Amino acid sequence: MRLSLVVHVCGLITRVFGLMFLAPLVVAVIYGEYRDARGFVFALVVTCVCGQLMRRAGGTDAENAIESMRRAEGLAVVSIVWMLIAWFAGIPYMWSGLGPIDAMFEAMSGLTTTGATVFRDFSQFGRGVFFWRSLTNWLGGMGVIALFVAVLPRLAIGGREIFFAEASGPDDEKVAPQIKRTAALLWRLYAILTVLQIAALAATGMPLFDSICNTFGTIAAAGFSPHPLSIAGYQNPAAEWVIIVFMFLAGANFALQYRALARRDFRIFTSDDELRAYVAVVVVATLLVGSAIYGGLDAGAPVRTALFQVLSIMTTTGFASVDFQLWNDQAKAVLLGLMFVGGCAGSAGGGPKVVRHVLLARFTLQELRRMLHPRAILPVKLNGRVVPASILQGVIVFFLFYMLTFAVCSAIVILFGADIVTGISATAATLGNVGPGFNLVGPMANFADLHPVSRITLTAAMWIGRLEVLTVLVILRPEAWRSGRWSSAGRAAG
Amino acid sequence: MRIVIVGGGEVGSALARALAAEHEVAVIDHNAAVADRFASLEVDFIHGSGTSEDTLARADIKQAGFFIACTGLDEVNIVACAIANRLASPETICLVSRADFIGSSSNAGLAPFGINRVLWPEAQLAVDIEQVVTAPGAIDAEVFAGGVVRLLEYKLDSSSPLLSAPVGGLHLPRGSLIVAVKRGGQLFVPRGATQLAAGDKIILMGTPEAMREVEKIVRPGGNRGRQRVTIIGGGDVGLEVAERLEKADNVDVRIVERGEERGALLAARLTHTLVLNGDGTDLEFLESEDVGRSDVLVCVIDNDERNLLASLLGRQLGVPKIVTRVSRPGNLRLFERVGIDVALSARGAAVAAILHQISGGTSSLLAVLEHGEARVLELTVSQDFVPRQLKGIGTPADVIVAAILRGDHAVVPRGDDRIDPGDRILVFCTRAAAGRVQAYFSGTGA
Repeated sequence: MRLSLVVHVCGLITRVFGLMFLAPLVVAVIYGEYRDARGFVFALVVTCVCGQLMRRAGGTDAENAIESMRRAEGLAVVSIVWMLIAWFAGIPYMWSGLGPIDAMFEAMSGLTTTGATVFRDFSQFGRGVFFWRSLTNWLGGMGVIALFVAVLPRLAIGGREIFFAEASGPDDEKVAPQIKRTAALLWRLYAILTVLQIAALAATGMPLFDSICNTFGTIAAAGFSPHPLSIAGYQNPAAEWVIIVFMFLAGANFALQYRALARRDFRIFTSDDELRAYVAVVVVATLLVGSAIYGGLDAGAPVRTALFQVLSIMTTTGFASVDFQLWNDQAKAVLLGLMFVGGCAGSAGGGPKVVRHVLLARFTLQELRRMLHPRAILPVKLNGRVVPASILQGVIVFFLFYMLTFAVCSAIVILFGADIVTGISATAATLGNVGPGFNLVGPMANFADLHPVSRITLTAAMWIGRLEVLTVLVILRPEAWRSGRWSSAGRAAG
Repeated sequence: MRIVIVGGGEVGSALARALAAEHEVAVIDHNAAVADRFASLEVDFIHGSGTSEDTLARADIKQAGFFIACTGLDEVNIVACAIANRLASPETICLVSRADFIGSSSNAGLAPFGINRVLWPEAQLAVDIEQVVTAPGAIDAEVFAGGVVRLLEYKLDSSSPLLSAPVGGLHLPRGSLIVAVKRGGQLFVPRGATQLAAGDKIILMGTPEAMREVEKIVRPGGNRGRQRVTIIGGGDVGLEVAERLEKADNVDVRIVERGEERGALLAARLTHTLVLNGDGTDLEFLESEDVGRSDVLVCVIDNDERNLLASLLGRQLGVPKIVTRVSRPGNLRLFERVGIDVALSARGAAVAAILHQISGGTSSLLAVLEHGEARVLELTVSQDFVPRQLKGIGTPADVIVAAILRGDHAVVPRGDDRIDPGDRILVFCTRAAAGRVQAYFSGTGA
C-alpha cells in the first residue's frame, strides 16, 4: 500500500467536499443567520485547506500513481474518506454548540444516510444547519465518492477501485462501460428524482424549505427531517403518499431504474429477482403491520400508515408518519426484522440488502437439495444467471461479520446502561443506516441520552454499516498496513 | 446426376452407400483414413478440404446437381456450401448441430450464404424424443401439418381392449385410424377383417382430439399425475430434450452428465431440471438416485455401446419406458430386439430426408417410421386426378390415406369421403410403395 497515494486521494476528495459548504452558506445568508454563516465559511476554509495540505503531502509521485490504484488502496481511501469528511461535516454543528462526539455522530448519521439524531432541541439550530444536515443525507445517498468520481477528471480512471469499494451490494454493476460515465448517469437520475419529488411535495402544500429538506432525506433513504416530529409533524396525507412512492424508488436499484428509463423497457422491473423479492417483502410486512395495528391508535388509515413505516424502515429511510414507539410489540417486531433486510443493491438504502437475502435463501435451499442428491450440480442463480461461488462466499462472510458487529456493538450499548430493546434497536438502526429505533431511541426521541461510549460505538457502527462491513474490517487488519510505505518511488530512492 | 458429399462420416457414408447405385457420387474428406469405407463402393473419394476451391474443382463441382456438407464442424459445412454456391449452382444441403444457424424465419439464418437447406438432425431427434416422452404408453409419437394430425405407436399386450374384435369392429373414435400393424418384423396396412394380437405394434393417426380418446381406450386409467423423466447424457440432444420437457408443466426432468464442466453448463442453461454429475452406466449411482422409479428413461449418450448399457441397466431397475438414441443406423434393429422400447437415430432421419429430397417428386417426406420401413408423405393431388370417393380408389397395396388437409384442420377420411384434384393429403405407406403412391396421385388415378 502506498500511503502517499491514499493521503493524496483523500485530500483531493476532502478539498472538493469543502466546497459543499457553499450551499448551506447561501441558505444561512438568505435567512439572515449570519452567525451560522460564519460557521460555514470557517468549515469551508478549514476543510479546503486540510484537503489541499493532504493533497500536497502526497506529492507528485502520488498524482501520477492514481491511475494504478490497487484494491487495498481503494478500500483504504474509501474507509478513511468517509471518516474524514464526517469530521469536517460536523464542524457547523460544533459551531452551533454541540460537543465533538455529538457533532461527529450527527455528521456521520447524515452522510451514511442513517438519520439518527442527537438533536434534543430543534429550535437551537438555524435553517442553514438543517439544510446542511439534509444535504449530507443527499450527498451520502448516492455515494460521496461516486459523485467525485463523476466530477473529478483526475479520478476518471483511477476511480474504479474506490467506486466499487463504496458501491453497495454483492456484485459490481455498471450502466456504462466507463466508471466515470456510470457515476455521472446514476447521479443524473438521482438529481431528476430529487427535482420531481421536491415539486410533488411542494404541490401538496408543504413549505418549499421543508420540501427540499425532506426530499433530500427521502431520496437518499436517509431520514433527517427539519421537523422535530419527522413527517408526523406535517399531518399531510398527500405528502405521505408522495414520500411513500419516492422511498420505494430510493430503496430500488438505481442502475435498474436507469436501464428501464433509458431503454423504455419496463419489463425488467417484473423480471428482476431482487425487485420482486423487495416488493414481496414490502407487501407481506405491510399486511403484518397493518393487521397488528388495526383497531389501535391509528386505525384511521392503516394501509397508508403501515406502508409508510414499513417502507421507511425497510429502505432504511427512518421517517415516521406516526410515533410507532407507541405501537404494540407485534408491529415493532416486524419493523425490527425489516432493519435487517435493507434496500436493494445499488440503491440509496442501507442494511444487508435484499439481494443478499435472496442469494442466501437460494444457497440454503440448494444445500438442502444436495442432501437428497449428493451428486447434483446445483448452481445458485440470480436473474437466470449463475452466481459465482466467490460472490456467494462473500455474501455468507458478509452476514457473519454483520451479525458479529451487531452483537458486539449492541453488547457495548447495553453494558453502558441502555435497556435491551434500546440497545438492540439502536445498534440495528445505526448499523443498518435506518435511523430511529425503539424505546429510548424511538422515532420522536433522540440518541443524546445514551452514554458517550455508546454514541461513539454507534457512530462507528454507522460507518461500518454504510461501507458494508468488509471494506472497513479489511483495512483494520494489520496485514493491510504492514506492507505500507510512503510511496513506490520512496523505496527506490532510499 | 453428380452429387458431391463433403465429410465421410456416418452420414456421408450412409448417403454414399444409398446413392452410389444410381448417381455419380464424389466424397471429399481431409482424412485419408476414411477412404477405406468407400473403397468397396462405386464412388470417387477425394482427399482434401471441402473448403478449398481446388478440391471442389477436382470433385467436378460444376456438374454437380447436389452438394451436401456433412462434416462434424458446422462452420466448415457452411463455408463449404458457400464456396460451392459461388463456383457453381448445385442445390446445397448443410448439416448443423447448433441452434445459432437456424434463422427465426425459414432458413433466413443461412440463406444469404447460398445454402438451400439447413438440416439440424439433433434438434429433430430431440423433437421426436419429446413427442414420445409426452405420450404416455406410446412407443412412438409424431405430429404433422402444424399439429392438426397426430401419430401414435403402441405395443399391444394381452390385456389390451383392442384385441376384442377385428379392426373393423373396434369402434375407434371418429377421426382416428389404425394405419399400420407390425407383426413379427412384417409391416402391413390392416383391413377391416384384420384381428390384432398381443405383441403387435400398431400405428394410429388422427386429429389431436380423436387421438386423446384413443389414448384413453388404449391405456385405461391413462395419465396419472406428474411424469418423471431421467435423461442420461447431457450432450446437445440431452440439453435440447430437457429444455423442451421443461416447458411442459407436468414433467419432472433429471439429467445425468458425466463431465463436471458440461454439467455446470447444463445447470446454468436449465431452470427446473435437476442436473446430476455421474456416470449413467454406473449401476450403484443409478440406484442411489432411484432412477428405477422414473416413468421414462431417455439415453442420449453419443456412444452406442454406453447407451445400450445405460438402457439395459434402466430396464433392469424397472423403468417402464426406455427411449434410446442410436448413432449407427445399423444398430437400430439390435437395440429394439434386446428390449429397448424406442430406438431413434438422428443421422438415420437426416439421411432419409436428404435421400427423399434428391429423389425429387412433388411430395414432401414428413416422417420415416420403423427404421425406414414406413413413411408418411404429404402430397398434393394432381389436377388431372379424377375425383372419386375413397372406397372407389384402388390405392396401391400397403398405402392408406391418413388425412385430407382442408384449411387449418384435417379430415380423417372414411370410405365415403371424396378426394378431389388439388387436395393436400397425408399418406401413410410402406417404403416399397412410396414410389407408386407418388405416381398414383400425380396422375389420373387410373
